[in-house]
Amino acid sequence: MAHRDEPNQNSPSDPHDFERRLNAKLEARRAKEAASNPSGWGQGVRYGSEFAGGVLVGAGLGYLTDQILNWTPWGLLVGVLIGFAAGTLNVVRAAQSMNQSDDASS
Amino acid sequence: MADATNPIKQFEIHPIADFSIGGWNLSFTNSSFFMVTSVVLVAGLLSLAMSKRALVPGRSQSVAELLYEFVAGMIRSTAGDAGLKFFPFVFTLFAFILMGNMLGMFPYFPAPGFHGFTFTSHIIVTFALALVVMAIVIGYGVFKHGLKFFSLFFPSGVPWPLYILLTPIEIISFLSRPVTLGVRLFANMLAGHILLKVFAGFIIMLGSVGALGVLGAVAPLIMVVALTALEFLVAFLQAYVFAVLTCIYLSDALHPGH
Repeated sequence: MAHRDEPNQNSPSDPHDFERRLNAKLEARRAKEAASNPSGWGQGVRYGSEFAGGVLVGAGLGYLTDQILNWTPWGLLVGVLIGFAAGTLNVVRAAQSMNQSDDASS
Repeated sequence: MADATNPIKQFEIHPIADFSIGGWNLSFTNSSFFMVTSVVLVAGLLSLAMSKRALVPGRSQSVAELLYEFVAGMIRSTAGDAGLKFFPFVFTLFAFILMGNMLGMFPYFPAPGFHGFTFTSHIIVTFALALVVMAIVIGYGVFKHGLKFFSLFFPSGVPWPLYILLTPIEIISFLSRPVTLGVRLFANMLAGHILLKVFAGFIIMLGSVGALGVLGAVAPLIMVVALTALEFLVAFLQAYVFAVLTCIYLSDALHPGH
C-alpha cells in the first residue's frame, strides 16, 4: 500500500491488458463526472432534503425546549424560524458546493 | 394477485430467527440477513481479489485496486491528504452501502422467503449510518481541536452581535446534516424501488386483461428495463454521494473554522 503512488514501472507487455485497464479508469472517471453533475431528480432531492432537514431539526429543537422549559409556544415559534434560516443556509451551501464541482470538472 | 402488484410489499420486514432480550425484540430479520450478506460479500470478494497480491494485477485485482484508488482519490480531493486517516471508515461505508444497493437490485434473492430486499430503503438504517458519521466527526473534532472545534459555529469575519442570530442557525444547520444525509439515500432508494414495482405491476395487470392487454404491456416492460438501468446508476451514485458528503463533513472535523 505504501507503493501506491509510485509510477508504473512494471507496464504489462500485453496491450489488451492496457486497453482494459484504461477503459476501467475511464469508466470510473465518467461515473465520477456523472456524480458531480447529478440528474435533475438527484439535485431536487438534495436541495429538498437540505431545506426540509433544517426546518425539521429547528422545529424539533423548538418543541423540545417547549416541553422541557415550558415556554409554549415560543420555543416552537423561534425554532421553526431559525430552522427556516438554517435550511436556507444549507441550500445555499449545497448550491455553492455543486457549482464548485461543476467548475472543477469542466 | 394483490400481493404480486403491491409496490410496498418489498419493504416488509419479517423475522427469520426470533430472538429477544428483556422484552426487546432483537430478531434476526431479512434486513439483518441482507446486511450480513453485504458484509460477507464485500469482505470475501475483496480478500479473494487480493489473495494473489500480484505486482501486475490480474482482472479481479485491478477491480479491487480501482475501488481503492477511487475512494482514496475521493478523500484526497475533498478532505485533503490529512483525510486519508479516515480511509478505512469511508471505504467500509462506501462498500457496505454500494453492496446493499446492488443486492437490492435482485428481484429474487436466495434469502429466506426468497425475495429481494434493500436495507438502504429503510430510513432507520441510513439514519443510523449518518449518526455514526456525525459521532465520528464530533468525537474526532473535539479530540483533535478541543473547544476550538466549536469555532465551526462562529463564522469568522462577522461583527460579534450577529453571533446571537448566526450561532443558533449554524448549530441547527450542523444538526440537520445527519437528517439530510440519511434522508437522501433513503428517499432515492425507496422512490426508485417503488417506481420499478409500480411499472412491473402494470405489466401484470395489463397482461391479465387479454390479447390487447398483452400487446399494451410492452410499453411498461420497456419502461421497466430502462428504469432498471437507471436504478443501477442511482445505486452507485447514492453510495458515492453518501461517501463524498461523509468526506466533506470529516474535513470539517479536520480543519474547523473555515
